[in-house]
Amino acid sequence: MAAEAEDAAAASVVGKSVMVVGIDDSEHSFYALQWTLLHFFSPAAGSSSPFKLVVVSAKPTPTSVIGLAGPGAADVLPFVESDLRKISLRVIEKAKEMCTSHSVADVEFEVVEGDARNVLCEAVEKHHAEILVVGSHGYGAIKRAVLGSVSDYCAHHAHCTVMIVKKPKPKH
Amino acid sequence: MEESKEPVATECREKMTVVVAVDESEGSLYALSWALDNLFPAAVGGAPNKPQPLGRLVLVHAQQPLQHLIMHPVGPAAYATSSVIDSVKKAQDQNSRDVVERAKGICRRRLVEAEAVIVIGDPKETICQAAEQMQTDLLVVGSRGLSKIRRAILGSVSDYCAHHANCPVLIVKPPKGGH
Repeated sequence: MAAEAEDAAAASVVGKSVMVVGIDDSEHSFYALQWTLLHFFSPAAGSSSPFKLVVVSAKPTPTSVIGLAGPGAADVLPFVESDLRKISLRVIEKAKEMCTSHSVADVEFEVVEGDARNVLCEAVEKHHAEILVVGSHGYGAIKRAVLGSVSDYCAHHAHCTVMIVKKPKPKH
Repeated sequence: MEESKEPVATECREKMTVVVAVDESEGSLYALSWALDNLFPAAVGGAPNKPQPLGRLVLVHAQQPLQHLIMHPVGPAAYATSSVIDSVKKAQDQNSRDVVERAKGICRRRLVEAEAVIVIGDPKETICQAAEQMQTDLLVVGSRGLSKIRRAILGSVSDYCAHHANCPVLIVKPPKGGH
């Protein structure tokens, strides 16, 4: 168990561990951010949170959104590009609001262009994150296979602990 | 897109019920240590005059049901198996107790109180069920880091929990060499 002692010592010397939260335009990811802020970053008397928060929003590339290039693709591109930019700005704004409402000041926000899966795993590498938090759409097995699942990909490929936060299904 | 404003807790961080799934594997004990270090900090050598429970830690160990392990031979040999069943069950119970003791020891060393629950059944389902019954805030599982094909064949508890648990799931990966 010497490795743990080392890790613990390293964490206290270097400073806070980094927690990366992946967000996008969906309600599920904001729920995940909210949950994380609530449980890990509440205004704690005396002690501050042991984590430094990095919020990463993945902006899909316009070409991935448009799909197969048709005859009109080149014309549509700038519109799609500005739309995506607006959306990602809005996402970050909302995330900023959430953080301030929970009085969390030590946050970094990033918008990276690319496929969400790769963006999040790279962000983990870049920040040497301890933990990656993602929301989950709660798709069934078939939808996952067809639509793909960022949370699945991250759970398997990220090099750190992964926390998947789901919106509780209304069972009652 | 409504945003429910939760009332800000006046006490410290909201108390979380954290359930950690443990078994004999190193992966799950590493997961437990990770959870203790990161979710229940400031308990180590900290101020003894601040006994704030940061949350409730529950250790869950799933014991494989006997049908899994015993292949019932057909015929008169059925009589002989009852004593075999007994001794296997005893061995399993002892094994579970050892696992739980080991896990509790890890918690004690970090001055964290933990409850322990042993459930019998298929690990995947019983862990998710137990988590649901205890109204868990966070379920922590280790991960063996299996490749895709192995996961499909051997089955993965962490995968199953990630998909089926009703609460947030934390998957702790084994540390990569040279961390």
